[in-house]
Amino acid sequence: MLDNQPTGEERTVTYVGGATIDGAPIAYIVVLSAVCTALAFIPFSVIVALGGSFPLSQAIFPLVGWILGPIAGAIASGVGALVGVFVAPHTAGIPAVRVIGAVVASFVAGSMRHGTRRSWWWFPITVTGVICLALFGGRAMVQNGVSLWAVVAGAFIDWSALLLFALPTRALVSKWISSPNPGLMATGLGLGTWIAAGMAHLVKGMITYFMYNWPEDVWVTLIPIIPVENLLRVAVGITIGTGVITGLRAIGLVKPREAVY
Amino acid sequence: MPEAIATFDKVSYMYPRSTALVLRDISLEIRKGEFLGLIGPSGAGKTTLCLAFNGIVPQFYGGRFFGAVNVAGLDTLEHPISTLARYVGIVLENPETQITATSVENEIAFALENLKVPRDEILARIPRVLEAVRLEGMEHRHPQELSGGQKQRLAIAAMLAVRPSLLVLDEPTSQLDPVGAHEVFRTVQELNRELGVTIVMASHAAEELAEYADRLVLLNAGQIVDEGPPAKLYTQVELMQQLHLRPPGVTRTFHYLRKAGFSIPELPVTLNQGIAAIKPLATACHRQASEGQLAPAPRDGRPLVSVTHLTHTYDDGTQALRDISLDIHRGEYVLITGQNGAGKSTLVRHFLRLLLPTDGEVRIDGVPTRDLSISALARRVGYVAQNPDNQIFNTTVEQEIAFALRYLDMATGEIRSRTERSMAAMGLQDVRDRHPLSLPRGERARVVIAAILALEPEVVIFDEPTTGQDYQGARAILRLTKQLHNAGKTVIVITHHLYLMAEYAERVIVMGKGTLLRDAPIRVVFHETDVLASTYLTPPQAVQLAQALTEATGIPLLCLTPQEVAGALVCDTTGRSL
Repeated sequence: MLDNQPTGEERTVTYVGGATIDGAPIAYIVVLSAVCTALAFIPFSVIVALGGSFPLSQAIFPLVGWILGPIAGAIASGVGALVGVFVAPHTAGIPAVRVIGAVVASFVAGSMRHGTRRSWWWFPITVTGVICLALFGGRAMVQNGVSLWAVVAGAFIDWSALLLFALPTRALVSKWISSPNPGLMATGLGLGTWIAAGMAHLVKGMITYFMYNWPEDVWVTLIPIIPVENLLRVAVGITIGTGVITGLRAIGLVKPREAVY
Repeated sequence: MPEAIATFDKVSYMYPRSTALVLRDISLEIRKGEFLGLIGPSGAGKTTLCLAFNGIVPQFYGGRFFGAVNVAGLDTLEHPISTLARYVGIVLENPETQITATSVENEIAFALENLKVPRDEILARIPRVLEAVRLEGMEHRHPQELSGGQKQRLAIAAMLAVRPSLLVLDEPTSQLDPVGAHEVFRTVQELNRELGVTIVMASHAAEELAEYADRLVLLNAGQIVDEGPPAKLYTQVELMQQLHLRPPGVTRTFHYLRKAGFSIPELPVTLNQGIAAIKPLATACHRQASEGQLAPAPRDGRPLVSVTHLTHTYDDGTQALRDISLDIHRGEYVLITGQNGAGKSTLVRHFLRLLLPTDGEVRIDGVPTRDLSISALARRVGYVAQNPDNQIFNTTVEQEIAFALRYLDMATGEIRSRTERSMAAMGLQDVRDRHPLSLPRGERARVVIAAILALEPEVVIFDEPTTGQDYQGARAILRLTKQLHNAGKTVIVITHHLYLMAEYAERVIVMGKGTLLRDAPIRVVFHETDVLASTYLTPPQAVQLAQALTEATGIPLLCLTPQEVAGALVCDTTGRSL
């Protein structure tokens, strides 16, 4: 109840016929797509097995999911990545895989919710992740004779992300990101980026492995590199994410319905 | 009486995550063909009211909404913004925020395309609206190639193309130079008078609203304080001053005369009314009200800034400065003025070595800027850019102020102490942990100024510091410049808001088309109306009234402010009623 209640009758405020996708204004989706495309120009690591390089945009796909929600975030990242493969071919890698990875990262990040009508989404995502890991690791060991330890070590970011997503840690991520405490927010962004980027890596890894069937030598070479790359995504995700979320909170721009921050 | 095009019925509104109403019990009727001015201090709710016309408030922002807004018979809560946009066009303060296309004609076509207007119809409307805003022949120009006034007129044209019944303009001239502002007011007046478009304009431009508006609505703290013709509202000078608003200079002048005992039945609100009313008072005037400086003050010693035959030509061949020579000494307060493109910013960027002379030389304390690094100059010459947001990139006010100090190999204690001093000087201690972008524009400017002051520069340059500020905000910044000046700093202010500068600057440098047109004390320059007019500047109304008096009496009255004009008339006639 307000002090000095206004004389007019209170009305129900709704967004009538507005241009939104899953509660996120189209304008936001367009802007974040453009940001993803812009970051596609910046390489942050070489692709050892295929050549070329990874785009820095990989570090913000999870952030896009937290800002826009799983569906609008996936669309924004997917469109941004799709445009990125054309305008920045030096970071395109396998274009279709690049786009799928963007979509998965934002979708997984946006789905790290608790206490919402979409809380159950974690289950099919986890099952899909387990299937991908089984197909990925199974093919490596059964068909290509890669040893168990090499698969376990080489797929460290994939299974650790899957595990952290399946456990209640996913809810902790969204709780921390929404915290007013900047330290907790940064921790949530870091942990969440590790999980979402790791899950995206798992799906991409499965597809590319079926295409290239790398032998054990490649696995062994990649064991120390892949976690470092994911840590780089985490570092960039924290750096950009804390600034963006702090700024969004400060300027009070209308919050998309599924936003986590 | 014409029928209403828009009605507000007991409208109150609260933004999300806010506990205070930003609009409270607004009941208002806007009639077809009317030119309505919205006035009020910052935070009065003018922008929110403007955004309520097409449903952006509350549909986009959410929050709590009471009462009803009807536009062209449509309840703004029950119809999509896209439908309301057919009836209401909105032009925002900064045209850059609403221009998206890469050519003038595409910009106009954009809204029409979204409203599914047939292609042939779009092609037919483009030349018509361009003619209405006098941008014919610019169809293929990139909007970024247009001047500020032209961009604002393009934004108006894009709205007009939709053929709205109501055009809402939120501070459309606050970021424009006098030429741009005049262009916009002239265009809006033509649309109103000739095409019958209903206009609602929120503005601090008192002189222009007094001239053009049919009715004003005065808002304060979200409520309507008063409404009526400009002659009713602007003449309530005490109320205006109490709300930190500025009535037209001519009204203030006659207000002071009335206070001095003259019988002024009605305070004039336009310049023509003022000139007609002041001439009969001329017999009471018999002394020169020019106690200020008329000749340049003698200066000893080496100038702090010395510019010799400076010419600058940009890479695209544009000659921005031509053979400029001037000296600025320690402790001076200098106003640099002139139209957009006159070369003002180009000149001061040479002081920071952000630009190097194509020809000639700039010396800081005797050392050519060519021999100094930008970082070394940044410690001695502080530069506050026109848009404070361009200089903000930290997440708290405190970090922003301390940012540059951390790169100067300074001890932590010294950084802390300078940051605290700067914050205290700008009154920012209470918001030290806030994100700078969450602060009002006036405070954002103070954050940038505090960051500059922390470097303890000898010279502080303010580039259009009053642009986009309301009267109170502009005065607050200028008072600060005076404090710095009193503390021994050399202050350089670039602005074309001459009416604000009379109480602050000592010396005026007038520039036009890259040349130095005049360099003299303010009292001299403000009365050289031909020089000012040659670079599209208008002197304050008080100066124009003083000139009318001079013409009537033959006595030179070099007054600068309303108080001085009133003082010139009452010097020996206090209590005399004319």
